[in-house]
Amino acid sequence: MASPSTYSRYSSNSDNYYDINDIIATHEKVPCKVELPLHRLGFLNPGSDGENIRVGTKMDLPYWLVTGLLGRRRRLVSVEPPKYFRSSYREIMSADANIVDLHKMGPYYYAFGTKILSFEFPESEDIAKSLIETYINRFRKVMDGSQNASHEDKNRLTSKMDETERSIYRAGQTSLRSFQSWETRQITKICTSDMVANHRKRKRAVMDEDDQ
Amino acid sequence: MDPSEVEFLAEKEEVTIVPNFSHDEVFLIGGNVGPFNPSLPMKVPLWMAINLKQRQKCRIQPPDWMLVEKLEEVKKQEHDSAVFQPMVNPHYMEVTKLLLSHATDDIPNADEVNTLIKDIWDLRMAKLRQSIDKFVKDQETHARLDNLSLMEINSVRPFLTQALDHMHTLRMNLLTAGPGPTQDS
Amino acid sequence: MYGEKAIELIHELQRAVNGSLAPFNEEGVRQVLEEMKALYDQNQCDVEATVQGEKDRLPAVQFRHTCLERNKRCLLAYLHNRLCMIRDMRWEFGSVLPAEVKYNLSEQEVQWFTKYNKSLASYMRTLGQDGLDLTQDRSPPKSLYVEVRCLMDYGEFESEDGSSVVLKKNSQHFLLRSLCEPLIRQGVLEHIMS
Repeated sequence: MASPSTYSRYSSNSDNYYDINDIIATHEKVPCKVELPLHRLGFLNPGSDGENIRVGTKMDLPYWLVTGLLGRRRRLVSVEPPKYFRSSYREIMSADANIVDLHKMGPYYYAFGTKILSFEFPESEDIAKSLIETYINRFRKVMDGSQNASHEDKNRLTSKMDETERSIYRAGQTSLRSFQSWETRQITKICTSDMVANHRKRKRAVMDEDDQ
Repeated sequence: MDPSEVEFLAEKEEVTIVPNFSHDEVFLIGGNVGPFNPSLPMKVPLWMAINLKQRQKCRIQPPDWMLVEKLEEVKKQEHDSAVFQPMVNPHYMEVTKLLLSHATDDIPNADEVNTLIKDIWDLRMAKLRQSIDKFVKDQETHARLDNLSLMEINSVRPFLTQALDHMHTLRMNLLTAGPGPTQDS
Repeated sequence: MYGEKAIELIHELQRAVNGSLAPFNEEGVRQVLEEMKALYDQNQCDVEATVQGEKDRLPAVQFRHTCLERNKRCLLAYLHNRLCMIRDMRWEFGSVLPAEVKYNLSEQEVQWFTKYNKSLASYMRTLGQDGLDLTQDRSPPKSLYVEVRCLMDYGEFESEDGSSVVLKKNSQHFLLRSLCEPLIRQGVLEHIMS
């Protein structure tokens, strides 16, 4: 898998056009209110049976769509901050960021949080502050976890991390593991490539299934 | 970088060997080595020393820092200081690992040396993590860390660069979160 | 909502673990293209109406256009990321893909792999005097010869001096490192450490 690149506020015209993580992060929903009638698109709004989407209709639309609807000449919708970035949740973050399940709120909490800043909410500055403070307060846990060798803890450790934190965590783990295999001299052994080994394992699993 | 590549670079370090054979000077891409005379100490690159040792063609003299007393002193200094102390050798981990794996019989108190080097490594890595945490907490933009070895830097590089990249993105948010550029593409 | 089919393709990529390439999702790609065609046709129709003077059609056009762009991005990302995985496979599996893996490639992907293979081979031939196999010695080699054990019946294998060795399951051999490294990486041989 391609390594995740840093995300940007502007999704479609930046160099992470092909980035899987960026595409998934931009699929998160933003609460909107329709400001101009959308003809013959009524079927997209599950709450109504009209032919058109009327002005004032409230809909949760994916981020990628919203950015396209906010053109320079026409603003088709007005937007509100998604739930997890509103002040009540920001207060929870500043109380104790370490206990919060960011994966549930994300899973691309930071990436999505960064992206929605482009909507210039009145509280954008507070959201931006909350994002970096949350990251800094949780950082020690991510770092210590990533330098920790034991494998059983892995799922417990990462279950509450958002995708960016997980990726940082994995980077630390990979270095740690390759250092350990150097230290125990495992490294001097030429090994079957991971891809081949995984492939074999799967193939065996499939054959076992067929036997049964 | 993979640790095996760091080790490859460390193998260029010179060590003193005492050969038990004679041979003319050899001309290599990395420089000339030799001539070899029985019982006459000489300097060769580590990779060659290990190769000769494996074929029982030489004895390796431990580097002058690979002594228990010396390393105890280094460990104490590292422990007492808040900053990273200059190390006895830029590749102290790799050289120790290679010599202890291939020429244990030539190193006096090999076990103790091994433990001390590991202690020093652990001390330094803990210090490194501490500095990284402080760096992030204080939202610094630059820091100066002297005397780190390549292996040490290498073991945190992917983690650190990603973590700092991310912090940078979030900091930039703060700068642009006010009236930022419009969102048209 | 539009774009749901397209994001499915991306989720499919995300689920792929190291070395696994799901079958090319022809049906999924076709459905996205179909959605795009419908969006395009409706936009054509609304644009014509606009030219006739019906100004209030434009917001819907903008809406659909955004969906078109999104579908395009997802499709391209799907193809691009698959190609990256197929490229990595050249370095892991060697120049011949296992049949089950090849089966999951689309016809165009197989063509691409063949071309990539050729480019890589001709590039490697130009290196040094007699060419250089870049896929060899992925980490610094420690010795010229290595001891190996056979993990499967592989058959006859020509060693560096032209003599041949029969690689039978569980037999052990002492071979030139450069010769057996590819076989070790493919899981035919196991490197034995003394």
